[in-house]
Amino acid sequence: MKTRYLLQVYGRQFGTLFGLIALSIVLWILTPHFMTVSNLLNVAQQTAIVAIIAAGMTFVIITAGIDLSVGSVLAFSGVVMATLLLGGLPLGLALLSGVGTGLFCGLINGLLISVGRLPPFIATLGMMSVARGAALVFTEGRPVSGFSDSFRQIAVGEVLRIPAPVVIMLAVYLIAHFVLTRTKLGRYTYAIGGNEEAAILSGVNVRLYRTLVYGLCGGLSGLAAIILTARLNSAQPIAGIMYELDAIAAVVIGGTSLIGGEGTVFGTLIGALIMGVLRNGLTLLGVSSFVQQIVIGSVIIVAVLFDMAWKTNRK
Amino acid sequence: MKKLVLFTVLGSMLLTGCQRNNSSSTDQPTIALVLKTLNNPFFIDMQKGAEDASKKLGVKLLVQAAEREVDVEKQMQIIENLIQTKVAALCITPSGSKEIVPAIVKANKVGIPVLIVDTRVNQPALDAAGGKISGFIGSDNLEGGRVAGQFIVKALQGKGKVAVLEGIPGHETGDSRLKGFREIMANNPGIEIVSSQTANWERDQGYTVFQNVLQAHPEIQALFACSDLMALGAVEAISAAGKTGKIIVVGFDAFSEARDAVMKGTMAATIAQSSYDMGRTAVENALHVLRGEKIQEDISLGVQLITKENAKPVSAQ
Repeated sequence: MKTRYLLQVYGRQFGTLFGLIALSIVLWILTPHFMTVSNLLNVAQQTAIVAIIAAGMTFVIITAGIDLSVGSVLAFSGVVMATLLLGGLPLGLALLSGVGTGLFCGLINGLLISVGRLPPFIATLGMMSVARGAALVFTEGRPVSGFSDSFRQIAVGEVLRIPAPVVIMLAVYLIAHFVLTRTKLGRYTYAIGGNEEAAILSGVNVRLYRTLVYGLCGGLSGLAAIILTARLNSAQPIAGIMYELDAIAAVVIGGTSLIGGEGTVFGTLIGALIMGVLRNGLTLLGVSSFVQQIVIGSVIIVAVLFDMAWKTNRK
Repeated sequence: MKKLVLFTVLGSMLLTGCQRNNSSSTDQPTIALVLKTLNNPFFIDMQKGAEDASKKLGVKLLVQAAEREVDVEKQMQIIENLIQTKVAALCITPSGSKEIVPAIVKANKVGIPVLIVDTRVNQPALDAAGGKISGFIGSDNLEGGRVAGQFIVKALQGKGKVAVLEGIPGHETGDSRLKGFREIMANNPGIEIVSSQTANWERDQGYTVFQNVLQAHPEIQALFACSDLMALGAVEAISAAGKTGKIIVVGFDAFSEARDAVMKGTMAATIAQSSYDMGRTAVENALHVLRGEKIQEDISLGVQLITKENAKPVSAQ
C-alpha cells in the first residue's frame, strides 16, 4: 500500500529524476570531462541562481499564477544591496536589504493581484518593467562593483568543499519543501491553486496567502541577486534578463502544472539541474550555441508532453 | 512516454555529439574563443578570422557565445565549462569589463592562459583580484571615436546640433568611443550634443530610441552611433520621419551592411575595425603564448574612416 501511495505522489518526480540520470549517463559516455567532481560542483554552482528563483516560482505556479518580474527584481535588489554595501552598511544589513527589496517588490505584485484583482501575468509584467527601470535609474545604467573579500565569500567560499552557492541552494530547497508540505502557507498554496472557490468557502484568507506567496518569490529573487552579485563581483542593472523564462522552464520540467494545484519543489530542483547539466554538457561537447538553444527548447517541450501523458494515464 | 523522453534526449545528445570536431589527434592544442554573442555580424566575422587562422596553424578551435550580448553570467558559465574540458588557451571578448574578472581568475588558477579580445578588462578590478592576462587584441576605440567626431565637425563646418546613441554603459569599447567623440566635441564649441542615450547595442532599440530623440529634437543635423547596428536602426527611424539624407549618420564597425548604407548614402560614414583581423590575431597570439614565445601585451589594430570613396565591401573576407 505504502509503495503504491509513494509512487502516486512522487512517481512524477522519479520520472524527472530518471531523465536527469539518463542525461548524465549519456554525457558520461560522450565526454570524459563531465563526470568529475569538479565539473559536477561546477554545474551545481551554475544552477544555484536560477534554482533559487525557481523555488519561489514553484509556489507561485502552484497557486495557478506566474511571476514574470523575477529577473528585473533580481537586478533591482542586486543594485540596491550593492550600493548600500559600498556605502558602508554592515554586511549583514546589506544582505537583508537585498532580500528585503525583493520581498517588497514581490509583496506589491501580490497586492496588485489579490487586492487589485489584476491577472498575475499583467501585474508582474508591469513590475518587470518598473523594477528594471528602477534599477537603471538607481545606478544611472552603470554596474556597481568592487566588494570586500568577506562579501565575495558568498560566491567563492566553501563548506566542506561544497561551494557556498550550492549550500545556500540546498538550504533554500529544504526549507521550501518543509514550508510547502508541513505548514499552513504550503497547504493553502495548493488549496488556492487547486480550487480557489473552495479555499475561500472553507475560510482561507486567500488574499493574504496569495500575497505572501508572491512576496516569497520576490524575496528569493533578492537572495539570488546576492549570489549573482558576489559571483560577478558586480551588480548590473541589466542582470537577469530572461531569467523568468529559465525559472519557469525549471518549474515546468519539474512537473508543476501551470494550471496550478500540484507540484513539488524537489521536482523543480531536478528541472533546474536538467537545464544546467544540458547547458554544461553541450558546452563540454563543443556544440555551437545556436544548436544549444534548439536542444534546450526541445527538452522543455518533450518534458511537458511527458507530463501531460503521465497525468492522463493516471486518471 | 518515458521512452520518448529518453530517446529525444539520447538522440539529440548523440546528434550533437557527432558534431564534435574529430579530436583524434590529441597533440593539437585546443584554443577556445568565447564571444559576447553570435547574433551580431561583428562577432561572426571575428569567428571567421579565428577559424581561418586555426586552419592555417593546425590548431583546434572551439567557439562559444552566450545567447545575449548582455549576459555576463552565461558567459562566465561557458568559461567555467571550457576550463573543465582543459582547453589550452582562452580568448575572450568580455561581456562586462569588470564582471569577467572572476572568470579570468578561475582560468589563472588552473594555468590556462587568457587573451582578451575587442573589449578591454577593467585593469584596477583585475589587479585587485590578482588576475593576469597574457595580452589584449583590439582596435583603438578612443581614436575611432575621435575620427568620427572629426568627420562630423568637418561635415557640419564646425556648427550644429548632434545626437549620440551609446552602447551599454560600462562596456569599455563603447565608453572609449564616446570619450574620443566627446573630446573632439569639447574642442568645437560650435557643436552641441543635444541628446546622448543608450540603445544597448541593439538595432531595434536604435530605431525606437532615435525615433523618440527626433520627436524631442527635430533640429538634429548629425548622429554618432557607437555601433553600426544602432546606426542602421536609426537610419530606419530617419527614413520613417521622411528625413533621409538630411541627417549625417556615422556608425562604427563597418560591417558589410553598413558599408552598403554608406554607398547608398543613408549613412555618411562608419569607422572600420576589422573583427576578422581580431579573431585571426587572437588565435595566432594564443599559439605564440602556448609555445612559450613572448607576445606584445597590447596589440592595437588600427581604425579607418569609411566614406563613399572607400566603402566597397571587403569581399575577400
